Amino acid sequence: MAEARRNPGFGGVFMNGLITENPTFTLMLGMCPTLGVTTAAMNGVSMGLATTFVLVFSNLFISLLRNIIPDKVRIPAYIVIIASFVTMIDLIMQAFLPDLRAVLGTYIQLIVVNCIIFARAESFAAKNPPLLSLADGLGMGLGFTVSITLLSCIRELFGSGSIFGFSVMPEAYQPMAIMNMVPGGFITLGLMMVLVNFIKKALSARKEARA
Amino acid sequence: MFGKQMFPGGVHPHEGVGGKAANQGNAIREMPAPRRVIIPLSMHIGAPARPVVQKGDHVLMGQVIAEAGGFVSAPIHASVSGTVLEIGEAQMPNGAIVRAILIDNDFRDEWVELHPCGHPETLTPAEAQQVIREAGIVGMGGAAFPTAVKLTPAPGKVIEKLILNGAECEPYLTADHRLMLEKAVEIVDGLRLVMLAFGVKDAIIGIEDNKPDAIAAMRAAAKPVDGIRVQALPVRYPQGGEKQLIYALTRRVVPNGGLPLDVGCVVCNVGTMYAIDQAIREGRPLVQRVTTIGGLVQNPGNYLVRIGTPVRHLLDACGGLRAEAKMLVSGGPMMGQAFNNLETPVTKGTSGIIALGADSLDPDEGPCIRCGRCMRACPMKLLPVHMDHFIREFNYNEAERLGVMNCIECGACTYVCPAKRLLTQSFRMGKKVITARRKAAAELAKKEKEEAERERAAREAAEKKEG
Amino acid sequence: MQAKWTIAPAPHVRDNVTSRRIMIDVCLALAPAGIMSIVYFGAAAAGLIAISVLTCVLTEYLYQRLTGAKVTVGDWSAVVTGLLLAYNIPASAPWWIPVVGGVFAILIVKQLFGGIGSNFMNPALTARAVLFISWGSIMGAYPATQLMADTVSGATPLALLAEDASQVNLVDLLIGNCGGVLGETCKIALILGGVYLIVRGIIDWRVPACFIGMVFVCYLFMGGFDLALKEILAGGLMLGAFFMATDYATTPTSVLGRCIMGAGCGLLCFVIRAFANYPEGCSFAILFMNVATPLIDRFTMTKHFGEVKKHG
Repeated sequence: MAEARRNPGFGGVFMNGLITENPTFTLMLGMCPTLGVTTAAMNGVSMGLATTFVLVFSNLFISLLRNIIPDKVRIPAYIVIIASFVTMIDLIMQAFLPDLRAVLGTYIQLIVVNCIIFARAESFAAKNPPLLSLADGLGMGLGFTVSITLLSCIRELFGSGSIFGFSVMPEAYQPMAIMNMVPGGFITLGLMMVLVNFIKKALSARKEARA
Repeated sequence: MFGKQMFPGGVHPHEGVGGKAANQGNAIREMPAPRRVIIPLSMHIGAPARPVVQKGDHVLMGQVIAEAGGFVSAPIHASVSGTVLEIGEAQMPNGAIVRAILIDNDFRDEWVELHPCGHPETLTPAEAQQVIREAGIVGMGGAAFPTAVKLTPAPGKVIEKLILNGAECEPYLTADHRLMLEKAVEIVDGLRLVMLAFGVKDAIIGIEDNKPDAIAAMRAAAKPVDGIRVQALPVRYPQGGEKQLIYALTRRVVPNGGLPLDVGCVVCNVGTMYAIDQAIREGRPLVQRVTTIGGLVQNPGNYLVRIGTPVRHLLDACGGLRAEAKMLVSGGPMMGQAFNNLETPVTKGTSGIIALGADSLDPDEGPCIRCGRCMRACPMKLLPVHMDHFIREFNYNEAERLGVMNCIECGACTYVCPAKRLLTQSFRMGKKVITARRKAAAELAKKEKEEAERERAAREAAEKKEG
Repeated sequence: MQAKWTIAPAPHVRDNVTSRRIMIDVCLALAPAGIMSIVYFGAAAAGLIAISVLTCVLTEYLYQRLTGAKVTVGDWSAVVTGLLLAYNIPASAPWWIPVVGGVFAILIVKQLFGGIGSNFMNPALTARAVLFISWGSIMGAYPATQLMADTVSGATPLALLAEDASQVNLVDLLIGNCGGVLGETCKIALILGGVYLIVRGIIDWRVPACFIGMVFVCYLFMGGFDLALKEILAGGLMLGAFFMATDYATTPTSVLGRCIMGAGCGLLCFVIRAFANYPEGCSFAILFMNVATPLIDRFTMTKHFGEVKKHG
């Protein structure tokens, strides 16, 4: 990886995941939970944090074991590692946050096949030392969390008139039901990507103008 | 109506002031010769002619002043008698500067000795080709392709049908119309002689049915001759396009990239046929032609004009332009070229000089609204809407796949476009790029082949040495 | 003769049809249905139509102004979108429904995808679908017309037809004296407008013919002539077939493609009406075919004139 060769350090890798290569808006990974659970801000945050937990530890352990895992069976090996952490977080949530677990339902178990985790394992953790992999997992995970939280805030605002469960819209507001459905997720995601690309373009244009 | 002598697509372009209606009643008049003629050396398709006179030479009318520069080329004759001023330059309607012979007129109109053909009805194909070639005859509908070349079938190809193009589908132009009215007998005679020479049994004269008098005149002239049929065609642009005319008259489809001869047809303009008749019967070379001067001129008319007459002279003879004139076009308004140099000469292919007003200035291009009108207007059944999108994205490969190379640049799509997009211009550009790329690819392939050849030779030589 | 002569590429004559004139013609064709909706639903209808058109035009103007694009409000296409959107709203809807719909239609569906000619779905219909899904109770309430003797609100002809075809009066359907959204009720006005567009050469008759014909034939097999006739006159079929399935940007350009478009819309409309939960399938059918348009265009490309026929 280009970033690894330039040796950007812990902070650089972290920021790369959080902003430059944001998994949702740039890499477009993990679209299934992005569209599935982002109807309320709380769901977005918890889904993001659960994914971050799995991502950090799977990246760390895959990186630690990267010289031991035979190349031919690396994918089953990754899945075993990822699945272990997913099971852990699933059981923890069932024990301590049963309500949230009920809402997120099968999406938690589906983290196993979330392509963010798999993509980072394959393209980063398998080639980089543990500390950098940890930073990458943290950055990517938090990038994902921030993106889907933003997305779910917007959808909750229009779809239910509230944010994190608190009513913010005036009494007369009639919720826009489509925002609670998958089409609403697609439309919001598309518009946010328009915005992100617009900002990126504007920033790079300004950078060029300065240079 | 539908299915009756129809080609796919087509449009009905409207006309403005000084159009066909104003001009078709004006009999052909002889335009007084100008003081000086400017005769371009490349006014035909193919190699430029090579001058055979020098500055200061005295030339007679009809004398060869430049000989054909190759097989696909045509000789050029003096259109006035007088003195060669210089071998200089002329600007063509398309803006190109080409070499030209300038002759100062002595107003004596002394002809060279003409040699009419002794046995016009028993010419062999080769003799006929030679007469036509030496008379400098090229397609007079506008394309100016050497007629003798057209009448030289490739081995294995036979001319089955001669098609005479009297459609004159371009708005404003009436030169062919008048010629058919006034010289019907000569045109039919020329056609008969060509048929005899090449052993063609079947000829069709296609005329749009907005010229009933021309149809009647040609029918009357053709009656005594076996094998000539005059066919009325519905008015529809581009009826006079070669492939469209062949389809309308014979239901034969010229394959893409092919020639009319591939389906056994040769298409000639009626003006060309008149010139052929003159060449065979009287030995006269092509030194003047009938040209329509129409649109926003004071006195529109159809004139017999010496080749090389500057446009300024024509306009003066017609009483000048009207004040509203904003644009000068050589040829018809659909395919003709706008020019701004009044010294531009009339060439063998100049079917008309049209002055157009402000309504002909291009309006702003709007975004395509995908109405599909261009697709229905295209006489080649192409997809202008899609080709235009690809060309503007510089995706020439895709445009080529959609057949942009088969575009005949008739302008029908641009005419109908409600968004006023310059579709034809976009295709012209696309075709240029694609042609250039093909050429570059062919050269590259050739170079690589030579390289490989050289390497192989070197290797073989080395092996021989070792052996 | 010292004037400078203009140089331009051929052709030098142009047809006088412009994009603007086409759009104005569509507006004219939509006018009878609008007038009838005001007759039937009163001032509320007039207000909604005005708000919708204003929102659309203003959104387009502001967007183009803010992004520095060329302002193309003068081509009247936003007015067409505004009219079509208003015609899809029931008279009882509050003022903000056309505002939200108009902004969505112009900003998101039309301008963000590149403006006129570049949108891949019909803006008015997409906005209608969004509104319908979001505020089903508002968009699905069909008030009775002012002329209706009994004030049985809510029951549209389509709902009645689903129960028993004989409940519906054919004359009421034709003149539009029945429940429904603003523009869809008066079939005579819509047919009048549609015929005008066909005569003017603006829309292809094949699309509405295939569309309506398909629905008619399907219902003919399902429930006989009476039901089939009333089904094609009920709901938004006429509005959709003449004015929305013929939208240039979102329908195929080829003749065959347009036939496929019409027939596909008809079939989907029938399937949704007869077998799905929604009472009216017209708009979803058209949207679905909008998305299929590039595909249809691709598969219906015609042979060039002179393309060598392959011999088997």
